[in-house]
Amino acid sequence: MAHLLQEKGFNTFVIVGGLTAWRKAGQPLESIPKDDLVKLPTFS
Amino acid sequence: MTDMLILMARHGYALTFALLLAEALGLPVPAAIALVAAGAAVASHALSAPMILFAAVVALLLGDIAQFWLGRYSGWALLGFLCRLSMNPETCILRSAESFYKRGKTTLVIAKFIPGVNTMAAPLAGSMKMRFTEFLRLDFAGAVLYSVAYLFVGYLSRDFLAATLHGFHAAGKAMEIVVLAAIIAYAIYRGVQFARFKKYRVMPRIQVEELVARLASDEAARVQIVDVRSHGYYDVGTERIKGSIRIEPNNLEEEIKNLPKDKDIYLYCT
Repeated sequence: MAHLLQEKGFNTFVIVGGLTAWRKAGQPLESIPKDDLVKLPTFS
Repeated sequence: MTDMLILMARHGYALTFALLLAEALGLPVPAAIALVAAGAAVASHALSAPMILFAAVVALLLGDIAQFWLGRYSGWALLGFLCRLSMNPETCILRSAESFYKRGKTTLVIAKFIPGVNTMAAPLAGSMKMRFTEFLRLDFAGAVLYSVAYLFVGYLSRDFLAATLHGFHAAGKAMEIVVLAAIIAYAIYRGVQFARFKKYRVMPRIQVEELVARLASDEAARVQIVDVRSHGYYDVGTERIKGSIRIEPNNLEEEIKNLPKDKDIYLYCT
Protein backbone atom coordinates (compact mmCIF):
# COMPACT_ATOMS: atom_id res chain seq x y z
CA MET A 1 0.00 0.00 0.00
CA ALA A 2 2.83 2.39 0.88
CA HIS A 3 4.42 1.55 -2.47
CA LEU A 4 1.19 2.29 -4.29
CA LEU A 5 0.89 5.67 -2.58
CA GLN A 6 4.48 6.43 -3.52
CA GLU A 7 3.68 5.50 -7.08
CA LYS A 8 0.85 8.06 -7.02
CA GLY A 9 3.30 10.77 -6.03
CA PHE A 10 2.83 10.91 -2.26
CA ASN A 11 5.86 11.28 -0.01
CA THR A 12 5.14 8.26 2.15
CA PHE A 13 6.63 6.88 5.36
CA VAL A 14 5.74 3.86 7.47
CA ILE A 15 5.58 4.29 11.27
CA VAL A 16 7.70 1.55 12.82
CA GLY A 17 5.65 -0.56 15.22
CA GLY A 18 2.37 1.11 14.24
CA LEU A 19 -0.31 1.92 16.77
CA THR A 20 1.21 -0.39 19.37
CA ALA A 21 4.52 1.50 19.38
CA TRP A 22 2.67 4.83 19.46
CA ARG A 23 0.62 3.70 22.45
CA LYS A 24 3.70 2.28 24.22
CA ALA A 25 5.48 5.61 23.78
CA GLY A 26 2.61 7.26 25.66
CA GLN A 27 1.64 9.46 22.72
CA PRO A 28 -1.90 10.86 22.46
CA LEU A 29 -4.76 8.79 21.10
CA GLU A 30 -8.33 9.74 20.31
CA SER A 31 -11.61 7.88 20.21
CA ILE A 32 -13.03 7.22 16.77
CA PRO A 33 -15.55 9.89 15.73
CA LYS A 34 -19.11 8.56 15.73
CA ASP A 35 -19.47 9.24 12.00
CA ASP A 36 -16.59 6.91 11.24
CA LEU A 37 -18.09 3.98 13.13
CA VAL A 38 -19.49 1.22 10.95
CA LYS A 39 -22.70 -0.16 12.41
CA LEU A 40 -22.79 -3.94 12.31
CA PRO A 41 -25.98 -5.81 13.13
CA THR A 42 -26.53 -7.10 16.65
CA PHE A 43 -29.23 -9.25 18.24
CA SER A 44 -29.84 -6.83 21.10
CA MET B 1 -8.20 -45.24 13.86
CA THR B 2 -7.21 -48.59 15.40
CA ASP B 3 -5.15 -46.74 17.99
CA MET B 4 -8.08 -44.46 18.58
CA LEU B 5 -10.35 -47.47 19.21
CA ILE B 6 -7.95 -48.96 21.75
CA LEU B 7 -7.63 -45.60 23.47
CA MET B 8 -11.39 -45.25 23.45
CA ALA B 9 -11.86 -48.58 25.19
CA ARG B 10 -9.44 -47.52 27.94
CA HIS B 11 -9.99 -43.78 28.38
CA GLY B 12 -13.11 -43.19 26.33
CA TYR B 13 -14.91 -40.61 28.46
CA ALA B 14 -11.86 -38.50 29.28
CA LEU B 15 -10.53 -38.66 25.73
CA THR B 16 -13.85 -37.71 24.16
CA PHE B 17 -14.28 -34.87 26.63
CA ALA B 18 -10.75 -33.52 26.04
CA LEU B 19 -10.91 -33.71 22.24
CA LEU B 20 -14.34 -32.13 21.98
CA LEU B 21 -13.42 -29.38 24.41
CA ALA B 22 -10.29 -28.67 22.35
CA GLU B 23 -12.33 -28.56 19.14
CA ALA B 24 -14.90 -26.24 20.67
CA LEU B 25 -12.07 -23.93 21.71
CA GLY B 26 -10.97 -23.75 18.08
CA LEU B 27 -8.08 -26.20 18.08
CA PRO B 28 -7.66 -28.43 15.01
CA VAL B 29 -8.24 -31.85 16.60
CA PRO B 30 -10.02 -34.91 15.14
CA ALA B 31 -13.07 -34.61 17.39
CA ALA B 32 -15.53 -36.08 14.86
CA ILE B 33 -13.32 -39.15 14.47
CA ALA B 34 -13.18 -39.47 18.25
CA LEU B 35 -16.97 -39.46 18.35
CA VAL B 36 -17.15 -42.12 15.62
CA ALA B 37 -14.67 -44.25 17.58
CA ALA B 38 -16.69 -43.68 20.74
CA GLY B 39 -19.82 -44.78 18.89
CA ALA B 40 -18.06 -47.99 17.87
CA ALA B 41 -16.97 -48.50 21.49
CA VAL B 42 -20.60 -48.09 22.59
CA ALA B 43 -21.62 -50.76 20.08
CA SER B 44 -18.98 -53.04 21.59
CA HIS B 45 -20.34 -52.33 25.10
CA ALA B 46 -17.02 -50.78 26.12
CA LEU B 47 -18.68 -47.41 26.81
CA SER B 48 -22.11 -46.32 27.97
CA ALA B 49 -24.11 -44.34 25.40
CA PRO B 50 -25.71 -41.84 27.83
CA MET B 51 -22.39 -41.22 29.60
CA ILE B 52 -20.41 -40.60 26.42
CA LEU B 53 -23.14 -38.35 25.07
CA PHE B 54 -23.12 -36.42 28.35
CA ALA B 55 -19.31 -36.03 28.24
CA ALA B 56 -19.42 -34.87 24.61
CA VAL B 57 -22.21 -32.33 25.06
CA VAL B 58 -20.73 -30.87 28.26
CA ALA B 59 -17.31 -30.49 26.59
CA LEU B 60 -18.80 -28.76 23.55
CA LEU B 61 -20.92 -26.46 25.68
CA LEU B 62 -17.99 -25.46 27.90
CA GLY B 63 -15.80 -24.61 24.91
CA ASP B 64 -18.56 -22.72 23.13
CA ILE B 65 -19.52 -20.76 26.24
CA ALA B 66 -15.88 -19.66 26.64
CA GLN B 67 -15.82 -18.57 22.99
CA PHE B 68 -19.15 -16.78 23.37
CA TRP B 69 -17.89 -14.65 26.25
CA LEU B 70 -14.60 -14.05 24.45
CA GLY B 71 -16.62 -12.67 21.55
CA ARG B 72 -18.80 -10.63 23.90
CA TYR B 73 -15.86 -8.96 25.62
CA SER B 74 -13.59 -8.52 22.60
CA GLY B 75 -16.36 -6.94 20.50
CA TRP B 76 -15.56 -7.16 16.81
CA ALA B 77 -11.83 -7.55 17.34
CA LEU B 78 -12.05 -11.34 17.25
CA LEU B 79 -13.95 -11.37 13.96
CA GLY B 80 -11.47 -8.83 12.61
CA PHE B 81 -8.64 -11.15 13.58
CA LEU B 82 -10.30 -14.17 11.96
CA CYS B 83 -10.96 -12.16 8.77
CA ARG B 84 -7.38 -10.94 8.46
CA LEU B 85 -6.51 -13.97 6.38
CA SER B 86 -9.24 -13.30 3.83
CA MET B 87 -8.62 -11.48 0.55
CA ASN B 88 -10.78 -8.55 1.65
CA PRO B 89 -11.03 -8.30 5.46
CA GLU B 90 -13.57 -5.44 5.37
CA THR B 91 -15.96 -7.41 3.15
CA CYS B 92 -15.34 -10.58 5.17
CA ILE B 93 -16.41 -8.82 8.38
CA LEU B 94 -19.46 -7.13 6.89
CA ARG B 95 -20.68 -10.26 5.11
CA SER B 96 -20.03 -12.57 8.06
CA ALA B 97 -21.93 -10.26 10.40
CA GLU B 98 -24.86 -9.81 8.03
CA SER B 99 -25.05 -13.49 7.17
CA PHE B 100 -24.94 -14.53 10.80
CA TYR B 101 -27.56 -11.95 11.68
CA LYS B 102 -29.93 -13.38 9.06
CA ARG B 103 -29.24 -17.05 9.71
CA GLY B 104 -27.68 -16.98 13.16
CA LYS B 105 -30.13 -19.30 14.85
CA THR B 106 -29.96 -21.99 12.21
CA THR B 107 -26.23 -21.52 11.89
CA LEU B 108 -25.65 -22.21 15.57
CA VAL B 109 -27.47 -25.54 15.34
CA ILE B 110 -25.58 -26.83 12.30
CA ALA B 111 -22.28 -24.94 12.67
CA LYS B 112 -20.41 -27.86 14.16
CA PHE B 113 -20.74 -29.82 10.94
CA ILE B 114 -19.10 -27.07 8.90
CA PRO B 115 -15.32 -26.62 9.30
CA GLY B 116 -14.44 -22.97 9.87
CA VAL B 117 -17.97 -21.95 10.72
CA ASN B 118 -17.80 -24.03 13.90
CA THR B 119 -14.93 -21.86 15.14
CA MET B 120 -16.66 -18.57 14.33
CA ALA B 121 -20.26 -19.24 15.36
CA ALA B 122 -19.97 -18.97 19.15
CA PRO B 123 -17.72 -15.86 19.25
CA LEU B 124 -19.90 -14.21 16.60
CA ALA B 125 -22.98 -14.83 18.71
CA GLY B 126 -21.14 -13.14 21.58
CA SER B 127 -19.95 -10.21 19.47
CA MET B 128 -23.47 -9.71 18.15
CA LYS B 129 -24.86 -9.61 21.67
CA MET B 130 -27.15 -12.61 21.36
CA ARG B 131 -28.91 -13.27 24.66
CA PHE B 132 -26.94 -15.86 26.60
CA THR B 133 -29.96 -18.05 27.35
CA GLU B 134 -30.89 -18.10 23.67
CA PHE B 135 -27.32 -18.93 22.70
CA LEU B 136 -27.23 -21.70 25.28
CA ARG B 137 -30.48 -23.22 24.02
CA LEU B 138 -29.40 -23.20 20.35
CA ASP B 139 -25.86 -24.32 21.11
CA PHE B 140 -27.16 -27.16 23.24
CA ALA B 141 -29.32 -28.32 20.34
CA GLY B 142 -26.29 -28.11 18.02
CA ALA B 143 -24.05 -29.99 20.44
CA VAL B 144 -26.58 -32.80 20.89
CA LEU B 145 -27.21 -33.07 17.14
CA TYR B 146 -23.50 -33.18 16.35
CA SER B 147 -22.65 -35.69 19.06
CA VAL B 148 -25.58 -38.01 18.35
CA ALA B 149 -24.92 -37.93 14.59
CA TYR B 150 -21.28 -38.99 14.85
CA LEU B 151 -21.85 -41.44 17.69
CA PHE B 152 -24.58 -43.03 15.60
CA VAL B 153 -22.26 -43.27 12.59
CA GLY B 154 -19.69 -44.99 14.81
CA TYR B 155 -22.32 -47.27 16.30
CA LEU B 156 -23.52 -48.38 12.87
CA SER B 157 -20.10 -48.68 11.31
CA ARG B 158 -18.46 -50.78 13.99
CA ASP B 159 -18.12 -53.70 11.60
CA PHE B 160 -16.95 -51.52 8.77
CA LEU B 161 -14.21 -49.63 10.52
CA ALA B 162 -11.51 -51.45 8.59
CA ALA B 163 -13.02 -50.18 5.36
CA THR B 164 -13.42 -46.74 6.93
CA LEU B 165 -9.78 -46.85 7.98
CA HIS B 166 -8.79 -47.53 4.38
CA GLY B 167 -10.96 -44.57 3.35
CA PHE B 168 -9.27 -42.32 5.88
CA HIS B 169 -5.85 -43.33 4.53
CA ALA B 170 -6.95 -42.50 0.97
CA ALA B 171 -8.47 -39.21 2.10
CA GLY B 172 -5.29 -38.44 4.02
CA LYS B 173 -3.17 -38.97 0.90
CA ALA B 174 -5.49 -36.76 -1.13
CA MET B 175 -5.34 -34.09 1.57
CA GLU B 176 -1.53 -34.19 1.55
CA ILE B 177 -1.55 -33.50 -2.19
CA VAL B 178 -4.04 -30.64 -1.80
CA VAL B 179 -2.02 -29.07 1.03
CA LEU B 180 1.23 -29.42 -0.95
CA ALA B 181 -0.38 -27.82 -4.02
CA ALA B 182 -1.69 -24.96 -1.86
CA ILE B 183 1.76 -24.35 -0.36
CA ILE B 184 3.35 -24.30 -3.82
CA ALA B 185 0.66 -21.93 -5.15
CA TYR B 186 1.18 -19.62 -2.17
CA ALA B 187 4.96 -19.65 -2.64
CA ILE B 188 4.51 -18.75 -6.33
CA TYR B 189 2.10 -15.95 -5.39
CA ARG B 190 4.57 -14.54 -2.84
CA GLY B 191 7.37 -14.82 -5.40
CA VAL B 192 5.35 -12.85 -7.97
CA GLN B 193 4.51 -10.22 -5.35
CA PHE B 194 8.16 -9.96 -4.37
CA ALA B 195 9.24 -9.56 -8.00
CA ARG B 196 6.53 -6.96 -8.55
CA PHE B 197 7.68 -4.76 -5.68
CA LYS B 198 11.38 -5.39 -6.14
CA LYS B 199 11.58 -2.47 -8.58
CA TYR B 200 10.57 -0.03 -5.83
CA ARG B 201 13.13 1.45 -3.55
CA VAL B 202 12.97 0.49 0.13
CA MET B 203 10.07 2.23 1.84
CA PRO B 204 11.20 4.97 4.24
CA ARG B 205 10.38 4.11 7.83
CA ILE B 206 10.16 6.41 10.79
CA GLN B 207 10.38 5.75 14.51
CA VAL B 208 7.65 7.10 16.77
CA GLU B 209 10.17 9.44 18.49
CA GLU B 210 11.19 10.98 15.17
CA LEU B 211 7.59 11.56 14.18
CA VAL B 212 6.76 13.11 17.55
CA ALA B 213 9.72 15.46 17.15
CA ARG B 214 8.47 16.41 13.72
CA LEU B 215 4.99 17.09 15.06
CA ALA B 216 6.50 19.41 17.67
CA SER B 217 8.50 21.33 15.05
CA ASP B 218 7.57 23.91 12.41
CA GLU B 219 6.98 21.03 9.99
CA ALA B 220 3.90 19.80 11.85
CA ALA B 221 1.60 21.28 9.23
CA ARG B 222 3.18 19.03 6.61
CA VAL B 223 2.39 15.84 8.56
CA GLN B 224 -0.63 13.68 7.77
CA ILE B 225 -0.92 10.47 9.79
CA VAL B 226 -3.04 7.81 8.11
CA ASP B 227 -4.61 4.72 9.68
CA VAL B 228 -4.51 1.84 7.19
CA ARG B 229 -5.72 -0.98 9.40
CA SER B 230 -7.24 -3.72 7.31
CA HIS B 231 -10.78 -3.23 8.57
CA GLY B 232 -12.95 -0.38 9.76
CA TYR B 233 -14.07 0.84 13.16
CA TYR B 234 -16.86 -1.22 14.66
CA ASP B 235 -16.59 -0.80 18.43
CA VAL B 236 -17.41 2.38 20.31
CA GLY B 237 -14.28 3.34 22.20
CA THR B 238 -11.85 2.17 19.50
CA GLU B 239 -8.81 4.42 19.51
CA ARG B 240 -6.49 5.76 16.86
CA ILE B 241 -3.52 8.14 16.76
CA LYS B 242 -4.71 11.63 17.55
CA GLY B 243 -5.25 13.67 14.41
CA SER B 244 -5.00 10.71 12.05
CA ILE B 245 -7.45 9.87 9.30
CA ARG B 246 -8.42 6.46 7.99
CA ILE B 247 -8.23 5.20 4.46
CA GLU B 248 -9.75 1.95 3.38
CA PRO B 249 -6.95 -0.20 1.88
CA ASN B 250 -9.38 -2.11 -0.32
CA ASN B 251 -10.76 1.06 -1.86
CA LEU B 252 -7.47 2.82 -2.39
CA GLU B 253 -8.19 4.46 -5.75
CA GLU B 254 -11.15 6.36 -4.30
CA GLU B 255 -9.58 7.02 -0.92
CA ILE B 256 -6.45 8.56 -2.45
CA LYS B 257 -8.55 11.46 -3.73
CA ASN B 258 -9.05 12.61 -0.13
CA LEU B 259 -5.35 12.64 0.72
CA PRO B 260 -3.55 15.99 0.77
CA LYS B 261 -0.84 16.10 -1.90
CA ASP B 262 1.05 18.85 -0.10
CA LYS B 263 1.70 16.77 3.03
CA ASP B 264 3.95 13.87 3.90
CA ILE B 265 1.95 10.72 4.55
CA TYR B 266 2.75 8.59 7.62
CA LEU B 267 1.07 5.21 7.54
CA TYR B 268 0.35 2.94 10.46
CA CYS B 269 -1.60 -0.20 11.25
CA THR B 270 -2.07 -2.12 14.49
